[in-house]
Amino acid sequence: MPRITRSKLWRTPYSLCAIVLIALLPSPASVRAAAEDPSSSMFSLSGFGTLGVVHSSEHDADFTSTIFKPNGAGYSHDWSPDVDSLIGAQVNANFSPHLSAMVQVISEQTYDNNYRPHVEWANIKYELTPDASVRVGRTVLASFLVSDTRNIGYANPWVRPPVEVYSLVPIDSSDGIDASYKWHIGDLVQTFVGTYGATTSTQPTGGNAEARRQWNISDTLEYGAATLRIAYQRANLTLDGLHTFFGAFRQFGPQGNLLADKYDPYRKPLEFIGIGAMYNPRDWFVTGEWGTSQFHSVLGESTAWYASGGYRLAKFTPYLTYGALKANSNVSDPGLTVSALPPYLTGPAMGLNAGLNAILGSIAIQRTTSAGLRWDFMKNVDLKLQYDHTGLGAGSPGTLINLQPGFQRGGTVNLFSAAIDFLW
Amino acid sequence: MTLINRIRLVAIGLALSLSSAVVKADVVAVVSTKSPITALSRSQVADIFLGKRSGFPNGVQAFPVDQAEGSAVRDEFYSKVVGKTAAQIKAYWSKILFTGRGRPPPTVSNNLEMKKRISDNPAAVGYIDRNVVDDSVRVVF
Repeated sequence: MPRITRSKLWRTPYSLCAIVLIALLPSPASVRAAAEDPSSSMFSLSGFGTLGVVHSSEHDADFTSTIFKPNGAGYSHDWSPDVDSLIGAQVNANFSPHLSAMVQVISEQTYDNNYRPHVEWANIKYELTPDASVRVGRTVLASFLVSDTRNIGYANPWVRPPVEVYSLVPIDSSDGIDASYKWHIGDLVQTFVGTYGATTSTQPTGGNAEARRQWNISDTLEYGAATLRIAYQRANLTLDGLHTFFGAFRQFGPQGNLLADKYDPYRKPLEFIGIGAMYNPRDWFVTGEWGTSQFHSVLGESTAWYASGGYRLAKFTPYLTYGALKANSNVSDPGLTVSALPPYLTGPAMGLNAGLNAILGSIAIQRTTSAGLRWDFMKNVDLKLQYDHTGLGAGSPGTLINLQPGFQRGGTVNLFSAAIDFLW
Repeated sequence: MTLINRIRLVAIGLALSLSSAVVKADVVAVVSTKSPITALSRSQVADIFLGKRSGFPNGVQAFPVDQAEGSAVRDEFYSKVVGKTAAQIKAYWSKILFTGRGRPPPTVSNNLEMKKRISDNPAAVGYIDRNVVDDSVRVVF
């Protein structure tokens, strides 16, 4: 497994940082220690999980929850347990009132179709004051309103966050540093978070996705039950699988170079802007998010939004969601001018043009209406049922994967999901 | 209806209203009598217990203390003061806990334990049933 070894090596500097940090820090005068719960131990273990199944009406393609999963419901499985199921465990360590650490490990379907656990987050946190902290290690990369709880079904009203918006930026962790500062203006609480780092992930289609010099800034305003959040994110993204493909264009002179420069996802900027709001008093909620992502490459530009609301009736919370995802960039390109090429090159050029247009044409365009029900049937456990009706944009496969020859683009897909979320 | 029966009915009625008064007892937020804090607003109390506010209005750090999960006084406090159900509070803290942004307040097992904890610590803030308030604690909301 050379790939795993390499990525482990690459992460070593952070664990070194952590050890150095612990060694260097003086044990702070424990003004707070006396006030804190004397019975609470230094280490605590907690966890969460979801057991879910999904059925899709589309048998010639798979529905799944993120691009990092190799298959899902529809073509590969009539009822797929892999779309939403996961289990996570977390150890928190409180070394002093100022210094703490956490490690969160999650087991879910991976790019190579097994459930090998991976380290989702692992970081050391230093609190300068109760309202200002710095974390070093692998932290959440919070592009969206519920990025923090994407994996914790129990904390969300739906079976999964609406895919229209949450597929815009599929990464949710960053190896590096983040800083958080919170302040109060009357009853208004404002939290500013800045994150800087890098993320490497392996895709089911082969090759790594590497986001370097990745930074994210967000500001969250909370007033009573109301939350408003705005985030901006930027990174340099390389998809090495596609980089090889666009290398072939460079064999075709200046025109090929121009096309490769435009589309090759090799160290190309990725930008994202997201705005989210939620109002969540005791008996109901309304929430919505809008986001736009620009990959300055063949991955194109997309804009998405959703609005959702629910009403709590004792232990039942029925909810409705509407989400839309559209492409702002071109979905086809004439490519290399085949007529200008010598006959022996027309075949390869046509092949490259077809490949380019297959990628451009696969950008996700879709609209989904969802209706669901959450039932808090016992302590720390809920059951959710959700029905999604998705209309795919003309010529688009939407967010579906594993497209089979019989698949019709631009059709409609109905999904039925059932999930049990728990905390332990 | 005889007089005796009438008295009996009134007695039963009184007993019922008394017992329901006990069940519906008000919950109040309390601090130590050694604390300089005399009053807090509902949103200040809610923000301290949700970890959104780390200090009292005078800038001194606040240490919220919770009652046991599933206790009537806790459910009453979160429902009336914070405006959330027990499950919503659990979901709220799971959000914060599982991103390493914080931890829920420590808990005590009953009103008596709470009073002991609060009276010992001028920085602590808790909540108890109004009918068990005594001179070891000060009601601030």
